[in-house]
Amino acid sequence: MEMSADIVAGFSQATMAATLFATAIGSLLGLIVGMIPGLTISTGIIIVLPLTFVLPPDISIALLLGLYVSGMTGGSFSAILLNIPGTPSASATALDGYPMAARGEAGRALGIAVMASFAGGIFSFLCLYFIAPLLADIALQFHSQDLFSLVLFGLTIICSFAARSLIKGLIAAMIGLMIVTIGQDPMMGTQRFTFGEVNLIAGIHFLTALIGLFAIPQLVDNLVELKRGSGHLARRFGSVLPRLTDLKRIRVPVMIGAPIGAFLGILPGAGGPIAAFISYDYAKKVNAESARFGHGAIEGVAAPEAANNAVTGGAIIPMMTLGIPGDPVTAILIGALLVHGLAPGPLLFLERGDFAYGIIFSFFWANIFNIIVAFAGLRLLVKVLATPRALLMPTIALLCVIGSYALRNNFFDVYVMFGFGLLGLAMRWLDMPVVPLMLALVLGRQLEEQLRVSLVSSQGDVSIFFTSPISVGFLGLAAVSVIWSLAAERRRRRKVALGSVSDI
Amino acid sequence: MVPRNIVAAIVLILVGIGYSVLTSNLPTREIEQTTEPSFFPWVVTVCLLALSIALLAQALRGGTAYENLVAFGPEVGAGRYLAGFVAFAVYLVLLPNLGFVAANVPFFVVLMAIYGERRPVWLTVGSVGVSLVLFFLFRELFQIRLPAGVLAAWLP
Repeated sequence: MEMSADIVAGFSQATMAATLFATAIGSLLGLIVGMIPGLTISTGIIIVLPLTFVLPPDISIALLLGLYVSGMTGGSFSAILLNIPGTPSASATALDGYPMAARGEAGRALGIAVMASFAGGIFSFLCLYFIAPLLADIALQFHSQDLFSLVLFGLTIICSFAARSLIKGLIAAMIGLMIVTIGQDPMMGTQRFTFGEVNLIAGIHFLTALIGLFAIPQLVDNLVELKRGSGHLARRFGSVLPRLTDLKRIRVPVMIGAPIGAFLGILPGAGGPIAAFISYDYAKKVNAESARFGHGAIEGVAAPEAANNAVTGGAIIPMMTLGIPGDPVTAILIGALLVHGLAPGPLLFLERGDFAYGIIFSFFWANIFNIIVAFAGLRLLVKVLATPRALLMPTIALLCVIGSYALRNNFFDVYVMFGFGLLGLAMRWLDMPVVPLMLALVLGRQLEEQLRVSLVSSQGDVSIFFTSPISVGFLGLAAVSVIWSLAAERRRRRKVALGSVSDI
Repeated sequence: MVPRNIVAAIVLILVGIGYSVLTSNLPTREIEQTTEPSFFPWVVTVCLLALSIALLAQALRGGTAYENLVAFGPEVGAGRYLAGFVAFAVYLVLLPNLGFVAANVPFFVVLMAIYGERRPVWLTVGSVGVSLVLFFLFRELFQIRLPAGVLAAWLP
């Protein structure tokens, strides 16, 4: 199919009534999930994912995209109203959002957050629309050795971003790769590490693993939060719709936040929190009245909100074009696509261009519904913040169990989920990040396949990885990310030794 | 020294050794110009052991100063954690026999109690209500047949 035909087909697919309805539902769920402190967007998507198995892939992905986009915005609601960021990406929003709420301008702060999120989201949609097909075209030229080096680069950059200790990040990735080797060998079908257990022949379903790794530690976290107690909901709301003067004032912060967010979203592992804080910092630096920042400046709400929503479109670019997730949520989205028999990567544009563009346009609609649902239901939605945790957390526990079971109608997967929950807690105890493990689970099989295919094609000659310029480029970037991370760790150690720990 | 990291490194080295033993027992294939099924597991083994040894060395040298600052410990009573895990484990053991509704209700009650709910009416309504809603939601709307277990004869 021609590209223009794909665009039209993709737009029609994303604009069908059922798809739009799913996107709207996803937006509603996203706002709810995002605003509840202690529930991350990843966990929200993992909980909802099993429900989407019965839906067609386009509708299923539209729902998840709605949840992803609105989850970012929802995070700002509790940050503004309770001074507790609903998601890590909303941490910077609380700096000025909560002081605004404290002085009775909660509605104004929420309105600014929603508008800035919308602007950031639309900017990242444009990036996605224009960059993704180009990048997919380039990626089509990649050979197996290039793909191996790319996946390796993806893993190293994520380890260095996600971990305070590079060694621990890499160990987490190795644990993930070990788990991936359970089941049938991808080249010859030989059974590996199955111990005669039929349920292990197909390997460990990575969604089962993700449910355990993310949700169980979060249930435990919420026990801690229970002890700490939650903040007080701001009572005075004021007007929600932003004034024209406010919109004029947030132009510059949004123009700063959106490109930073989209760019950092493309980089695997950088994510929303980093983008939000960098944007906040820049917005403060360029503002003539920077002293107002931290005391309820609307620019301090707009910049991080534009940035964290722009991250979403940015993160989808490497996911769709290279099959490399930009953040944990897109890793789960890759899983969702795989469940539906669709492998993200450059071939998606070639073989299912209509579906690829359908995802892009669903992302657009997700941003549209984000602003509609947020403004229409804001006053009602924030009441969710009063949901008793004693009801919410057991419900999540049950959804995790049912979700694990529903993957293959199998109790074995429920036990595996619980086992991964314990692993997640053990890793937390060791201050070991779970994100590299998760990405190794998603990318591991591809890494093994590309490595072995390359070696077979070169008859065992490893120099194949150093003769292709693309492969050399990615390996070089992987080396740089490791060296950079080691240097950063050393700098941090030196600073701590000198007693300056403020920046860690 | 960071004892946690030393324990972790030792456990990981043992895991790596165990994994290498299992890898060495993997079947081989007599096909020319190809890689064995054990090829990738060997790569992982070598990397895991090397990284675990590096972690051990780092921990013995004093660890990264940052890690020394990281405090991780139960901030709530250990009993609450223990009760949660015991409840989860018992629930998982009973689940295949009791079925989703009969097992979910008591599990939900225990979890609600762990999360601080003490009112009997709320405990009853919450546990029975949510268990039934989820069961029928998945069965009727999402077409996922959750085993009804001992209540199969009573559930519509």
